[in-house]
Amino acid sequence: MVNIAKTETKISIDHLYVRYEDDGTESLRDIHFDIPIHAITALFGPAGGGKSTLLRTLNRLNDMVDVSTRGSVLLDGVDIFSSNIDVVTLRRRVGIVFAQPIPLPFSISRNIRYGLELAGENRRSRLDDAVERSLRAAALWDEVKDRLGDPAIALSGGQQQRLCIARVLALEPEVLMLDEPTSGLDPISTAKVEASLQLLKQDYTVIIAPSSIQQTARIADWAAFMLQGELVEWNRGEDLFSAPRNKKTEDYITGRFG
Amino acid sequence: MHLSRYQTERIAFMVIGSATLLTVAPIIIVISAIFISGAEAISWEFIVEMPRDGMRAGGIWPAIVGTTYLAIGTGLISVPLGLGAAIYLSEYARESAWTRTIRVAIVNLAGIPSVVYGLFGLGLFVLFLKLGSSIIAACLTLSIMTLPVIISTAEEALRAVPQSFRVVSIGMGGTRWQTIRRIVLPQAMPGILTGVILGLNRAAGETAPILFTGAAFFLPRLPSSIFDQTMALPYHLFVISTQVPGMPLQIQYGTASVLLVFVLTMNILAASVRSWQRRKRQW
Repeated sequence: MVNIAKTETKISIDHLYVRYEDDGTESLRDIHFDIPIHAITALFGPAGGGKSTLLRTLNRLNDMVDVSTRGSVLLDGVDIFSSNIDVVTLRRRVGIVFAQPIPLPFSISRNIRYGLELAGENRRSRLDDAVERSLRAAALWDEVKDRLGDPAIALSGGQQQRLCIARVLALEPEVLMLDEPTSGLDPISTAKVEASLQLLKQDYTVIIAPSSIQQTARIADWAAFMLQGELVEWNRGEDLFSAPRNKKTEDYITGRFG
Repeated sequence: MHLSRYQTERIAFMVIGSATLLTVAPIIIVISAIFISGAEAISWEFIVEMPRDGMRAGGIWPAIVGTTYLAIGTGLISVPLGLGAAIYLSEYARESAWTRTIRVAIVNLAGIPSVVYGLFGLGLFVLFLKLGSSIIAACLTLSIMTLPVIISTAEEALRAVPQSFRVVSIGMGGTRWQTIRRIVLPQAMPGILTGVILGLNRAAGETAPILFTGAAFFLPRLPSSIFDQTMALPYHLFVISTQVPGMPLQIQYGTASVLLVFVLTMNILAASVRSWQRRKRQW
């Protein structure tokens, strides 16, 4: 496979298997690749390929459901499954934005403050700073700065999704994971989200399951093609799209299936 | 005979409408009969004075106070226990044979006749634990009766909070308890309150559970500790209706009116909590 020795590795996934115990389905089989720091890594492929499962494994959100996991995931060289890792801290370092925007039943600003309050931050100035900083980073500040006290549910779908991104950014995670963050958005909102991702990757490691092949091609520095729980191919985005080495990858990106 | 669909529609409407009327009419008739016959007994003195002349005159103050004590005491015991059990079942326990057993037990507990609770309370709290016939024994007995209502309504209210809120909160580095405390409980609170009020309402209106565990036939003074017996509205009503010869009818109706107002007020409170919840819900 490709050597990324030149760029620094943030997350290293090694022979990862994930199985859902309640129905016995194996969702991920032998996943093995590296996620570089300060770049956008896109996981793409048809539905059911295991993209969401992989994202939810990387911050151990899957602990909430009945899964068994084999293999290792190294974050900065430390296995996230080892018993001395604090899973609450892990989830602050590796934040996730879901496909459906789910504003918490609070005001706009409380949605942003929430994660920091969980971590024990109660200094008003810190919280207010975080609200403005993260709303700006998610390109939402100008639209909501005059109504931070309004219920978050009153925002439009695109605004809600950017609020959810801002909410995770407020925690200053090291890794930002986004599971089809633009699936329900109009093209203008999608463009805004994509533009902010380009800025965010300078400070964060971004992992995204894009909503479409086109989006993958637009934004991926690195792309991983996942099919039915297996990693088919992994390469620099431009290389993978211009010269796919696997027949299945080629068929998928040229639209022969999927 | 062949009926057109307009005729069947008419007949269906009449049948359904009269069924509704037959359900509602007796309630209205009973309540208004009680209020009308009780009206002349109701006065400020009737509410706040002690009974006199073998309860044939004076007021019903000790019974009102006693029922209030019993409702509050039952709430203090059953709400923390019931809420704790509901949070365990909804938020912590995984679905298993154990939780299914607990749920079956709760459902069955809710169906037990109240006099059985009374006898159980007599055996366990009054005799075995030697609490005697007392407010505390009565409250414990009423709590056991109320718990199933509180647990099942609270669990339902907790489960109605979207799972996605929990996933988001945990995903942002929240612990399970932080998530429950900051999101799930506040969202479920109106539904929980409704269940609590309905449960306590039943506790306030029941006679059989307190009959052997804490209710007094007549007390010349108010109870001074939780180990005293107390008078209570439903038992007092039973006593003056069946046990005291020469009881003026309007005092019986007056007492029934006060008990009804007590219970109706709590019901209205529960209903307004519920509608207030629907208005302010943000999802």
